[in-house]
Amino acid sequence: MGMLTKALSADFLKIRRKGLWTLIIFAPFGVVLLQAVNFGLRYDYLVKEYADDLWGGLLHNIFMFVPISLFLGCVLVSSLLANVEHGTGSWKQLLALPISRLTVFSAKFALSAILLACSCLLLMVFSIALGLVLGFGWHFPLPEVLRLSFYPYAGALPMLACMLWLCMTFRNQGLSISAGIVTVIASLYLPAKYTWLPLNWPLLAFRSEQGELYIGAGILTGLVIFLLGSVHFSRKDVV
Amino acid sequence: MNEWVIETKGLSKKYKGRYAVSGLNLRIAKGDIYGFLGPNGAGKTTTIRMLLGLIKPSSGSVHIFGKAMQKERLAILRKIGSLVEYPSYYGHLTAADNLEAIRRIIDAPKTRISEVLDIVGLTKEARRPVKGYSLGMKQRLGIASALLGNPELLILDEPTNGLDPSGILEIRELIKRMPREHGITVLISSHLLSEVEQMAGTVGIVRQGELVFQDTIQNLQQQAQSSIVLRVSDPQAALLTLYEQGLDAVREGSLITLEGISDAAAAQMVNNLVTRKHEVYRIEEKRKSLEDLFLQIVGEGGHA
Repeated sequence: MGMLTKALSADFLKIRRKGLWTLIIFAPFGVVLLQAVNFGLRYDYLVKEYADDLWGGLLHNIFMFVPISLFLGCVLVSSLLANVEHGTGSWKQLLALPISRLTVFSAKFALSAILLACSCLLLMVFSIALGLVLGFGWHFPLPEVLRLSFYPYAGALPMLACMLWLCMTFRNQGLSISAGIVTVIASLYLPAKYTWLPLNWPLLAFRSEQGELYIGAGILTGLVIFLLGSVHFSRKDVV
Repeated sequence: MNEWVIETKGLSKKYKGRYAVSGLNLRIAKGDIYGFLGPNGAGKTTTIRMLLGLIKPSSGSVHIFGKAMQKERLAILRKIGSLVEYPSYYGHLTAADNLEAIRRIIDAPKTRISEVLDIVGLTKEARRPVKGYSLGMKQRLGIASALLGNPELLILDEPTNGLDPSGILEIRELIKRMPREHGITVLISSHLLSEVEQMAGTVGIVRQGELVFQDTIQNLQQQAQSSIVLRVSDPQAALLTLYEQGLDAVREGSLITLEGISDAAAAQMVNNLVTRKHEVYRIEEKRKSLEDLFLQIVGEGGHA
């Protein structure tokens, strides 16, 4: 565990001024801003529409863009993170240090998970702030806001593990990003009735009656993909 | 029992059916500077990557500090500082932050950063982002990173690549100091013999993935025999005089060449020529340079 914290602290240092923190802050801001515009333009109509549950209506609308934003976040965070090492051929230097490959890979995964979690936390803060600005009052449904912010996140972990492995394995980020974007677009058109499909889990984690099921599935599948990725990463030749 | 800092046995690496490195038996003694030579593409970098555990050998073994790389990789790497091929760095960070990123992993004391920056002469530039550095400065930062963990063994892959003459000299002086002042063993690769001959104690030469020479630099120098070239008034008659003395001389136009003769024989020869009234215009010693010898070793079999 000691080595992991060391690697993680080195990674936090390396991502300074790499645009990652900007992405982490502005992505949830953008998602909420869309609804600020939506509610700003159609305030009277929407307030009438959701008269019996103003907060619920707001969260429902915000959520529309959460899964796709999460997926895009997985793609971008993974790629930016991997590029820190790919960019100037730093893998060979990093992996010739007395640190196991598993630790290096785990630290990258932990870092990307932490960064996305920060985004989700901000999503929660911004959502509440928007509701307050719109005058929906202080009685916001906290459990519901928490669900909105973190359930889809757990459902997106398999995608994160996949993207991270892809971006760290292939030097050419064009390839990994294209694969990621295609997957994200595909996720828009896949019917939600295919509940076994991990791409549907962020949506189902929030919308389904048994959201917790998809959280469990997301964490478990994410972990399995992460482990497979780390085995490959530990064995591959570094050229 | 094992006095070698690095010892490889039958080290081989196969890429798509072709051996990039084959049957390498390297032996590097403690406190030595080992010049690892060979033309580009001979397998130097592949070998070095195997020494650092970055790639796995197809067959053969690597022992460093008497430990097997396959089993005790981390324990070995803890005592190695390395610089592989072109310099690695995080361009958006300053030199100090680059070193800090490594320091956090290897757990060196914080004061070590300014020490190594001082050793490579980057103290003044330490607060600038590395992407604005010249190649020489990046290379020096690479060496600073390698020194950060107080290593017992330095593995430097072409550390002077792309440097100007003064930069090469600087790095050479830096490397020469390592065994003397810090007891560090150094493996340095290069495609130029001239670059390592002034500092290396031992050289290993690879050609097409195979080790074709491994010995001390003195023994290499001894192989570089000298020859004596004469220019005289009447070469044909002089040649006969030399034959009488029992010397193996060869005439090329107005020049006579003698391979590897002793000082005594040379004195006798000159005396003979003078007493026979030959006019001796020139006596030159031609030393086959190490570079010639190196090219010869590297070139042998190249056309076979």
